[in-house]
Amino acid sequence: MASTNETATLRKFPFQRDWPLSQPPEMAEVRKIEPISKVQLWDGSTAWLATRYADIKQLLNDRALSSDTLRPGFPQSSETAASFRKGQRVFARMDPPQHDQHRLMLTADFMIRRVREYRPYLDAMIDQIFDEMEETGGPVDLVQSLALPVPSRVITKLLDLPAEDSAFFLDRVQTAMSLDSTPEESQQAGADTLAYFARVIEERWDSEADDLISRLVRGRVRTGELTAEELQHMLHLILVGGFDTTANMIALGTLVFLENPDQIQTLRENPDLVPGAVEELLRYLSVAHHVAYRQAAADTSIGGVDIRAGDGVIAPIMAANHDPEVFADPEKFDVTRDARRHLAFGYGVHQCLGQPLARVELQAVFAKIFERFPNLRLVEKIENLEFHNSIIYGVESVLVDW
Amino acid sequence: MANKTIEVLHERCMGAGNCVEVAPDFFDQDPMDGTVILLHPQVAPGDEAVVEKAANVCPVAAIILHSAAS
Repeated sequence: MASTNETATLRKFPFQRDWPLSQPPEMAEVRKIEPISKVQLWDGSTAWLATRYADIKQLLNDRALSSDTLRPGFPQSSETAASFRKGQRVFARMDPPQHDQHRLMLTADFMIRRVREYRPYLDAMIDQIFDEMEETGGPVDLVQSLALPVPSRVITKLLDLPAEDSAFFLDRVQTAMSLDSTPEESQQAGADTLAYFARVIEERWDSEADDLISRLVRGRVRTGELTAEELQHMLHLILVGGFDTTANMIALGTLVFLENPDQIQTLRENPDLVPGAVEELLRYLSVAHHVAYRQAAADTSIGGVDIRAGDGVIAPIMAANHDPEVFADPEKFDVTRDARRHLAFGYGVHQCLGQPLARVELQAVFAKIFERFPNLRLVEKIENLEFHNSIIYGVESVLVDW
Repeated sequence: MANKTIEVLHERCMGAGNCVEVAPDFFDQDPMDGTVILLHPQVAPGDEAVVEKAANVCPVAAIILHSAAS
């Protein structure tokens, strides 16, 4: 524990943005001056902050660093994030080997060949959404009409849940993860979702159906490999991981394009750039804000700095993805850039399970949106939009016309 | 120039699928658990870049490219 004199001079983390779509300026400063430095968190505790791509990549794959938020002294970005994280009893919060056993129960359902089967469904769904937008006429809120329906329909299809429950999911996921929620509100939102999944598991106890939940109940829970409670938490994680994240990438990604009309032009002239443009959006936005926090379970070293067992370590994905050593002119959004090395989905054993699905969804949206609406424009100025202070960065609504 | 050889450390694989996305001619995923299946261990000089990229994006560093001599 650092003395009062020491902590008085430490920077406070998280840093603040001065523009909604850019990295906080302090991040670039720290990377230059002291790339691995001690920072002070909301509760007065301290942690190591890494800011270079190479260091972040190394530490996210360092087996000496634990993701188990129940460990005393585990660093957290805020009281609400701490409450949310501690309520997660799932492989995202476990270390190998238990992490691996649980995660590998889900990987087959998210493998590339499997998720690419969603593309025709997505293409038809997005065409229909755009038809409806045209019928209604502008202005339209892109968050409500496109960004939220796309991932929510995919998740309800994946888990075979009633589409009308998606408003409930969204509200509970956003409340659980918002840093503007109180710790109690966040906890309650998590408990509500777990209770929902407890009912679904019960309903499907004897199901012979082929949906993911029925298969897990039949193949893992009834065999004793997984408890029903562990499955509830797993399903909650799928929801948290796949809903708000993708929705915010769609809404914020469209905003980034609208702020960079030359990039819309480049993309329309070269439709083959869509997959690369999605990677660049993932890099540029790095929406997973308060995700990569770890605690050293054993002594280790990162970028020449000794980390002691018990020390907290923070690896902001945004910092890695805006490191000028790896991505030249990182604040420039450039659809022709080879951004595939980005760490937007994290790195190491906890790298996003659903990333192939996220890619398919985002590629489907950005292959169509500016073809269908070449004159798409923001109704309000970007500085008047309301951005989410959440574990995942997001935007409340985006009114557009065309 | 001699071919390089791919080694996969299967026990590390988490089934993230990045290698399959980047280099589908060399890697596939096991339909049972999504973990890596190495299709071709031999890499012709012209394919080295794409295999190196696949190794680079593997989140658990489970793909190793050996030069022929080793």
